[in-house]
Amino acid sequence: MDIVILKDILTVVATIILAPLIGGLLTGIDRKITARMQSRSGPPIFQPFYDLFKLLGKERLIVNQTQMMFVIGHLFFAVAALAMFMLGQDLLMILFIMAFSSIMLIMGAMSVRSPYSKIGAQREIVQIMAYEPVLILMVVGVFLSTGSFMIRPLFSDMFGFGKPLLYDLPLVFIAFIYVLTIKLRKSPFDFSMSHHAHQELIKGITTEFSGPQLAVIELTHWYELVLFLGLITMFFAQPVWVGILIALVCYFFEIVIDNISARMTWKWMLQATWIVGIGVAMTNIIWLYLK
Amino acid sequence: MDKYTLLALAILIPSLSAFLCYVFNKPWVRNVIVFVTALLMFAVAGGFVYQLLQSGGKIEINLEDLHLPFDIEFIFKLLDFVLLAIIADIGMKRKKPLIVVLAIIQGVLLLLFELFGSVKEPHVAFVVDYLSLIMLLLVSVIGPLITIFATGYMKEHEHHQHLEKSRQPRFFAILFVFLSAMNGLVLTNNLSWMLLFWEVTTLCSFLLISHDGNEQAVKNGLRALWINMLGGVAFVLAIIFIYNALGTLSVEEIIRSKMTPVGLFPVGLGLLCFAGFTKSAQFPFQSWLLGAMVAPTPVSALLHSSTMVKAGVYLIVRIAPVYSGTTLGMIVALAGAFTFVMASAIAISQSNGKRVLAYSTIANLGLIVCCAGIGSYVALGAAILLMIFHAISKALLFLCVGTIELEIGSRDIEDMQGLFKKMPFTTVIAVIGMISMLLPPFGVLLTKWLALEAAVKFPLVLICIIIGSALTLVFWSQWIGIILTVSYHAKYKMEKLPLAMWITMAILVVAIIVTGVDISMIFKAAVAPFLLESMKGVPETILNGINGLWLVGDSGKVVGGFSSIYFFMILFLLFLLYPYLYRKSKAELLKPPYLCGANTEEDTKGLEFNAPADTVDQVIVHNYYFAGAFGEANLTPWANFIAGAIIMIMFGVVI
Repeated sequence: MDIVILKDILTVVATIILAPLIGGLLTGIDRKITARMQSRSGPPIFQPFYDLFKLLGKERLIVNQTQMMFVIGHLFFAVAALAMFMLGQDLLMILFIMAFSSIMLIMGAMSVRSPYSKIGAQREIVQIMAYEPVLILMVVGVFLSTGSFMIRPLFSDMFGFGKPLLYDLPLVFIAFIYVLTIKLRKSPFDFSMSHHAHQELIKGITTEFSGPQLAVIELTHWYELVLFLGLITMFFAQPVWVGILIALVCYFFEIVIDNISARMTWKWMLQATWIVGIGVAMTNIIWLYLK
Repeated sequence: MDKYTLLALAILIPSLSAFLCYVFNKPWVRNVIVFVTALLMFAVAGGFVYQLLQSGGKIEINLEDLHLPFDIEFIFKLLDFVLLAIIADIGMKRKKPLIVVLAIIQGVLLLLFELFGSVKEPHVAFVVDYLSLIMLLLVSVIGPLITIFATGYMKEHEHHQHLEKSRQPRFFAILFVFLSAMNGLVLTNNLSWMLLFWEVTTLCSFLLISHDGNEQAVKNGLRALWINMLGGVAFVLAIIFIYNALGTLSVEEIIRSKMTPVGLFPVGLGLLCFAGFTKSAQFPFQSWLLGAMVAPTPVSALLHSSTMVKAGVYLIVRIAPVYSGTTLGMIVALAGAFTFVMASAIAISQSNGKRVLAYSTIANLGLIVCCAGIGSYVALGAAILLMIFHAISKALLFLCVGTIELEIGSRDIEDMQGLFKKMPFTTVIAVIGMISMLLPPFGVLLTKWLALEAAVKFPLVLICIIIGSALTLVFWSQWIGIILTVSYHAKYKMEKLPLAMWITMAILVVAIIVTGVDISMIFKAAVAPFLLESMKGVPETILNGINGLWLVGDSGKVVGGFSSIYFFMILFLLFLLYPYLYRKSKAELLKPPYLCGANTEEDTKGLEFNAPADTVDQVIVHNYYFAGAFGEANLTPWANFIAGAIIMIMFGVVI
C-alpha cells in the first residue's frame, strides 16, 4: 500500500506546480482586499509573484552559511506535508511533518546571532505550543467521526472522508479556524513575523533572511496556505466545490479579522488558545465519545 | 554454544569483569578489560539472537536439568539477605533510619515468606522471549558502549577532580555489576529472583550516584536508595500476595493467568506497578532521577537509557497483558500520561541541559507506562518501540552533554551558544540525537504517533499526551536553536576527543539512523512476534509495509500509517546540500546581523553595538523559560499531589 504508483507521482508533481500558483494568487487577493479595507488602492493581484521573482534575483547576502539549508528544509517539509495531504495519508503524520517544517524555520532564525530574529523564533515556538494541541485534537475529532486517520486522495471518488464532517465537528471546526489565524500570521496573533511590529521586532523571525532565502520562505507560506484551505475543504468535502467555496469564505473571514483586530501579547495568545481553543475542541470531542 | 552457557556468560561475564576491574589498577589493563568485555557481551547478545531464532521465539531454561552440585535457589536467597544487610548497613553509616527500616521490613517479609510459605520455585528459571531479547540487546549493546565511553571520560573527569588515588577501579566494577544484574533481571522467569536483581540495581545506582563522594552526591544517592527501597518493599509484598493467590512465582504463568480476581492477586499487580513507578521515576518519585544528575555523565547515561529506569518499565510492560483492558490498566495509563505532560512542562522551565534531559527521560518513561496501561496491541507495540528508540537516543544525548561539559565547563543551555563553532562534531551528533527525540521520521516520534492513535479512545489520557507532545517541541527546538547558532564570521575548530569517546558517539548516532530507517523491520522481527504471542485474538493490528508502519482497523481497512523512508531521503538530501551551499556562499556576501545600524566596525561576531555615550555594548538574548507558568518550584508540589492521588486511586481500585 505504500508503493508509489504513477498516479501518485502525477499528483505530487501537479501539487508542486499548482499549489504556489493558487497560494500566490490568494495572497495577492488578500493584499488587494486588505488595501481596500484600509481605503488604499493596493498592489496588482499578481504582485506576490513579482515580489518573489525580484527576491530571487537579488544579491545572495547571508549572515552565516547554514541559513539557506534551514530555509530549504522549511520548504521541503511543507511541500511534503501538502503532497501527503493530496495523496491521502495519515492526517496526524501530516501535522507532524508540518511541525518539522516550522521548526526548520525556527532553527534558521536562531542560527544567527541576531536579537530580533531570536525573539521572533521564541515567539514562533510559543505559537506552535499554542496551536499544535488544537490541531491534534482536530485530527482526533476526525478519527472519532470517521474511524480513520487517513484522508481519501484528491483524485479518488470522494475527496476527504466522503461525508461532510461539519455536522459532527462544528466546535472543532471553530477551534480550527481560531488557530488558523495564528498559523496564517494574522492579527491578533501576528507577533513572530509581523508587518506591523516594526518598532519592537523589525521583521521578527525573518529579520535576517534576505533575497532568495526570503523568496523561499514566501513560497513555503503559499504551500502552507493551500494546505490549510485544503483542510477546511476536507471538513465540508461534499461536494468538493462547496468545500472550496467555504474555504474561500473562511479565508476572507481571516482577512477581516486581520484588519479589525490589534496585535495582542503572546501570553494572552497562549492562555486564550489553550483555554478557548482546547476547551471548545474538547467539548465537541467529549460529546462524540458519549454519542 | 548452548543456552546454558550463554545464560551463564550473560550474567557472569560482567561480574567477572567487575572483579577484574576492581583488582587491577593500571589504566591500560582496565581499558583492555572493558573493551574485551564489551566485545564478549555483544557476542553473547548475538548468541541469544541466534538461539531465539533457532528455537522459534522462546527459550526456556530449566536449571534442574543441569543437576548443579549446589542449591542455586538457596544461594539466591542468601544473596537476597546479604544485599539487604549491606543496604541496612549503608543506612546505619549514613544515619538514615528510613533506609534501615525499609531494609528490615523487606528482610522480615522475605523471611516470613520463606518460613511459612513452603515456596515452590518455578521449574523454568529463565525464559527468553522477544521482549527479554530486546531488553538484553539494549543492556548488552548500549551498556558496554557507555562503559567504553567512560574509559575516556573518567580520565578527564578525575583530572578535573585532582584525586590522590584514582577511584576508577571501584567505578568500573560497579558499572559491570550493574550490567550483570540488568541482564539477569530481563532474563529471569522467577519473580523472587527478579527481586534480587532488582535490588542489586538499586544498590548499584546508589553507589554510582554517590561515587564522587561530595555532600550533594551522597545526599542524592541516599534519596535514590530509599525511594527504590520503597519500591522494593512493594515488590516483596507483591510476591507474597501473588504467590498466595496463584501458588506460583513464574512470570510466565502469572501473565497467562489473566486478571482473575483470586484473592489478593489484583493488589499484587498494583504493587508491581507501584514498584515499576518508583524505579522508572514516575511522578511523585521523580526526584531521585533528577538527583542522579550529580553523578559522572556515564552513570546518568546508563541510568537513563538502557538500565535502571528501563527495568521499571520492563516490569510494567511485561505484566501488561494481565491487566490490559481493566480499570487498573486505565489508571496506570493515566498515571503515565500525567507524568508525561508534567515532566514535559517542567522541562521547559529548565536551562540546565542535564535536567532537561532528565525531565525528558521521565516524560518518555511516562509515555511508555501510559502505553503499557492502555495495553492494546498498538499501544504495547508503541511502548516496546519507544523503549528501544528512547534508550539509544538518550544514551547518545547524555554522552554529548557530558562531552560538551568537559569542553566548555558548563551544562547550562545558555552557555552553549555557538557550540557549532567550537565543537562541530559533537554538535552535529547532538542535533541528530535531539531531532531523533522529537521529529519525524525518527523512531521516537513514530511511537508518539502510535501512542496517540492508540489513546484515541481514552479522552483524559489523550489530552495529556497531546499537550505533552506540544510542550516537548518547545524545549528541544530551543535547545537545538541555541547550539546551532553561528556568528557571521565563525572560525570552525575541530574538537579533540579521546578515541573512546568519539567512537561511542559515532556508533550510537549510526544506531539511531539505522534503527530509525529500519523501524518496520524491527517491528516485524522482534516486536510483532511478542505481541502476537502475548495478546492472542486481538483484532487491531499494525501492518509493516515495505518502508513504514501502517495501522489496520477492525474492518481490515488501513486507518493510519506513515512511510518514514521518504522523509529520511529528504533529510539526507538536506544533509548533502549543506556542503554545496557552504561552498556557494562567498565571503564578501557575509553581512553582520541587523542591530539597528549600530553595529561596531571591527566586531566579527555580530554581537557588539554602539550604545549611548560612545560605549560599546553586547547583545544578549536568552530563550524563554516560562519560569512563572512552568517553574519547577510551582508545578512540582501540585504534580506530586495529583500523582499521589492517582496512585491512591490505583490501590483503591484493586483492593
